[in-house]
Amino acid sequence: MAEKSKPIANSQIVLREEFDEWAILFDPDTGEGYGLNPVSVFIWKLLDGNHSEESIYEQVKEAFEEVPENAEAHIKEFVEELTRRGLAGYEIGQV
Amino acid sequence: MRTPRSVDLLLTSRCNLRCKYCSHFSSAGDVEEDLPAGEWLAFFEELKRCSVLDVCLQGGEPFFRPDFRELVEGIIRNRMRFSILTNGTLITDEIAAFLASTSRCGSVQVSIDGSEPLTHDACRGEGNFHRAVQGLKLLQKHGVPATVRVTIHRKNVTDLEDAAKLLLEDFRLPSFSTNSASHFGLCRKNAEQVQLTAQERSVAMRVLLHLTRKYNGRIGAQAGPLAEARAWMEMEKNRRDGLAGDRSGGFLTGCGGPMTKMAVRADGIMLLCSQLPDLELGRINRDDLKEVWNDHPELNRFRRRREIPLTDFDFCRGCAYIPYCTGSCPALAYTIVQDAWHPSPDACLREFLKSGGTLPAEEELGFSTDEPTC
Repeated sequence: MAEKSKPIANSQIVLREEFDEWAILFDPDTGEGYGLNPVSVFIWKLLDGNHSEESIYEQVKEAFEEVPENAEAHIKEFVEELTRRGLAGYEIGQV
Repeated sequence: MRTPRSVDLLLTSRCNLRCKYCSHFSSAGDVEEDLPAGEWLAFFEELKRCSVLDVCLQGGEPFFRPDFRELVEGIIRNRMRFSILTNGTLITDEIAAFLASTSRCGSVQVSIDGSEPLTHDACRGEGNFHRAVQGLKLLQKHGVPATVRVTIHRKNVTDLEDAAKLLLEDFRLPSFSTNSASHFGLCRKNAEQVQLTAQERSVAMRVLLHLTRKYNGRIGAQAGPLAEARAWMEMEKNRRDGLAGDRSGGFLTGCGGPMTKMAVRADGIMLLCSQLPDLELGRINRDDLKEVWNDHPELNRFRRRREIPLTDFDFCRGCAYIPYCTGSCPALAYTIVQDAWHPSPDACLREFLKSGGTLPAEEELGFSTDEPTC
């Protein structure tokens, strides 16, 4: 049985970082951009198919101060939003 | 901005036409040798590493390159979008189909300067109106986003109404843009034949404002009579009403290009603008793009151009429009007075009025004046 496990960025999407640590994700096929704040940029870089959402949450807690308790839920929502937009997906693993 | 967002690529110095006001030929951009495809393809990989989002393919005539398709495939492979500036005469059914198939083409801008061969071919050569129109139709047939630039000159200034009808009604383009033959390249030699006089410029302003109202804003301009009409009428109104200038007025703020983009000449020399081909910043595949973008002294000096007050210039002394003036295009300043850190004499409202030009009445404006400059 297949299940979704570790999120992975769409390799065709361009991450364009600016001086202020904000960034945009750019889809060259549509020309559309999607803005990212510095925490979102940090998360995006961990969407390599090797990190689960739980492990991303742990790394966010280590890297940033005052991470709220519900951050893990926000991370899941963020990844789902990226998936809905075609910017990321999930590695399919076998159970 | 850590890297340029966009890069203009002058893929070739060659062209099948010799238009009388071509900005390229006889300029410093008119180089002997074009880079081989391999050099461009290697550079595209660097553009990808720098997260450049799109490139604008120019020339010369970009479709003149026999390896055009290979270059576009390299752009796509490196996750960029592209747009093209062309005279339209070399577009075939096959090329239009290829462009459509990429799904990365933001726009193809075809130069069409009038409603009929008489006005278009006057400066672009016999037979080229029909060829350009055919190119435009092929792009439309394949669903490639096509647009048109009308360059206004002495031979077509009375044809603008019919040109607008052809483009917006007959070809059903969503919009088209205008500029005018400017003091670059071959135009310097042919200025008497092609460049608008102050009186012709005044006529063009009125006609274009009228057409912009008629076609509900579907005519654009970043330079030339329409852009000048909008900018100068606002300046005149502000002066008459005694209003303070806004933040951009009174300084050399007329160009924001080098904040977001740069250019590469056909021989691989990096430039801060394709219209400033003399100001060399380095060479691709030899100098690091990111380092040039962040550290080149001339580029950074150029970015500080906006801190230079117009009151510093003898040329502007005593001018009542200083609080509202941006000094306009540095490339035009360079080609006229050989100094890009100078206001452009060609875009000077005071000079225009002195030489007999007149502004349209305010009620003729009827549209937003906030279109950006180059």
